Amino acid sequence: MSNNIQFACKTHDVKPGEPAIVQVNNLPIGIFQIDEDYYAMLNVCPHLGAPVCEGPVSGTTEGCCSGKREFNYVKENELVRCAWHGWEFDIKTGEFLVDPSIKARTYPTSIEGDSVMVHL
Amino acid sequence: MIIDVDCHNYWCSAEVLLPYMDPFFKDYFVRGERTGPKGAFPHAHRPWFHPEGFKRADIDPQSEAENYQIMKSKHLDKYNIDFAILTGDESLEASTLANPYYANALVKAYNDYQIEEWLPLDDRFVGSIIIAPQDPHLAAEEIRRLGHHPRMVQVLASHGASRPYGDPFYHPIFEACAEVGLPFAMHLGGQGGINSNPIGAGPTTFFWETHAILPQTAMTHVASMIAQGVFEKWPELYMVVIECGVAWVPSVMWRLDANYKALRKETPWLKKLPSEYCRDHIRFTTQPLERPANLQHLWSTLEAMDGKNTLMFASDYPHWDQDDVNALHIPPDWRDNVLGGNALQVYKRIQTIVDSKAA
Repeated sequence: MSNNIQFACKTHDVKPGEPAIVQVNNLPIGIFQIDEDYYAMLNVCPHLGAPVCEGPVSGTTEGCCSGKREFNYVKENELVRCAWHGWEFDIKTGEFLVDPSIKARTYPTSIEGDSVMVHL
Repeated sequence: MIIDVDCHNYWCSAEVLLPYMDPFFKDYFVRGERTGPKGAFPHAHRPWFHPEGFKRADIDPQSEAENYQIMKSKHLDKYNIDFAILTGDESLEASTLANPYYANALVKAYNDYQIEEWLPLDDRFVGSIIIAPQDPHLAAEEIRRLGHHPRMVQVLASHGASRPYGDPFYHPIFEACAEVGLPFAMHLGGQGGINSNPIGAGPTTFFWETHAILPQTAMTHVASMIAQGVFEKWPELYMVVIECGVAWVPSVMWRLDANYKALRKETPWLKKLPSEYCRDHIRFTTQPLERPANLQHLWSTLEAMDGKNTLMFASDYPHWDQDDVNALHIPPDWRDNVLGGNALQVYKRIQTIVDSKAA
C-alpha cells in the first residue's frame, strides 16, 4: 500500500453510476461507487488517452456456451464505457473486457470519515 | 503437393443432368420455360453479361468427353495437379431460383452426375456437394445424403444469396456440415433472381467494373458468419471463400476488430476478436489474386492476414481470369503451404485419401 495517500472527494460527491472526476496531485482521477465501496481510475484511457471516466457507467452482456443467443445483463454499474470509443473497462480491476491484458490505471482507496482517499 | 481448390468441370449441355432428375422436375426441365437454348441450365441470370464469354478462348470442347480430355491435358497434367476440387459451374446458379424445390432437384441431379460421371474419370478429382441454400432444410438434407461419400470434400454454395450467410436462417446448413465434417465453401456467383442484391447502392453498369467489386458480398458473408457466432456454435467448422478476392480481408478485419472492441456487448456469444475467428476458421482462395505494380504492397497485405496459413491455391480453370500455378505471385517460402499444405488442413478427406494411397 502506498504511503502517498491523498484526499480525492467527499463520499457524498459520488453515487453508484455517478462518479466524480477530480484532480489529485495534478492527476485526473475518476472516483466510482459500487455498493458501499469506492474505486479510483485514472481518467486517461489506455487506448488513445481519452477521458475514460467520463463515459457512461453501466453493465454489459455476458455470453453463454456454444454461441447460444442469450443476453445476460451483468456487472450493473461496475463498468465504465470510455467516453470516446466505448471500450468497456471493469471499474474494480481496470481490465478491458475484450482484452484483459489492456488495463486502465486504477488506484486503491480508503475512507477517512466522509472523505474518499486515493493511494497514489 | 498441388491442390487446386477451384477447378470447374464444364458440360456442353445441362441435359447431362436429365438421367439424374426425378420425373416431376424432369418435366420442368424438358418442357418448361428456359432461360436459353435447349440444354441451358435453368437459373435467373445476373444483369451483367461478360462481353466475351467466361471461358478461356483456347478451350472449346465439342463433346461432353472433351470437357475432361482438355482439362486433363491443358491443366491437370500440364501443371502436375495432385488433387482438383470440382466446383461445377452453372449448377451453383440454382441458388437464384425462387422455387427451392426445383433448385434442390437441380443440385441433387448435379451432385449425382458429378459422382457418377466425373469422379470416376480421374483419381485426382474430389467433389463438392452443391447446395441450393434458399431452403436451408433441404440443403441440409442434401448435405446429409452425400456427406459421407469419401471423395466429397466440401459443401458449396454461391456467394450470391438472399441474406448474409451467418443469419440463423442458414444455420441448419452449418449444423449439417459439422455433422458430416465438411467445410462450407462459397464461390462467386448466383447474382440474379432472388439474390438480386450483390452490389450495394444498386446495380453497376459494366461487366469488368462489376466483377472487380463483387467481393463486397463476400465481405458481408464473412462479417456475418463471424458476428452471428457460427464458429462458436460449430468450433470445428471451416469456411472457404472462393474467387472473391483476397487483399480486402485485412482491412475488413481491422474494421471489424475496431468496432467489436467498442460494441462487444451486442454479440456476447463471441469469445475472440473477429480477426481471430477469421484466422482460425476462414480460408481464402488465391484466384484471382490481386496484382499491384509493386508486389511488396500485396505481400504486406497478405502478411497482415497470415496468408501463409490462410490462403489456398485455386486456378479457376478454365475461366478467362484463371491463375497459373507456376506464375503464382506469392512469397516463395509460402508455396508449399498455399499450393497444398493449407488445403490438407481444411479438407481432411483429401488427407485421408493421401494417407490411404501411401499405405
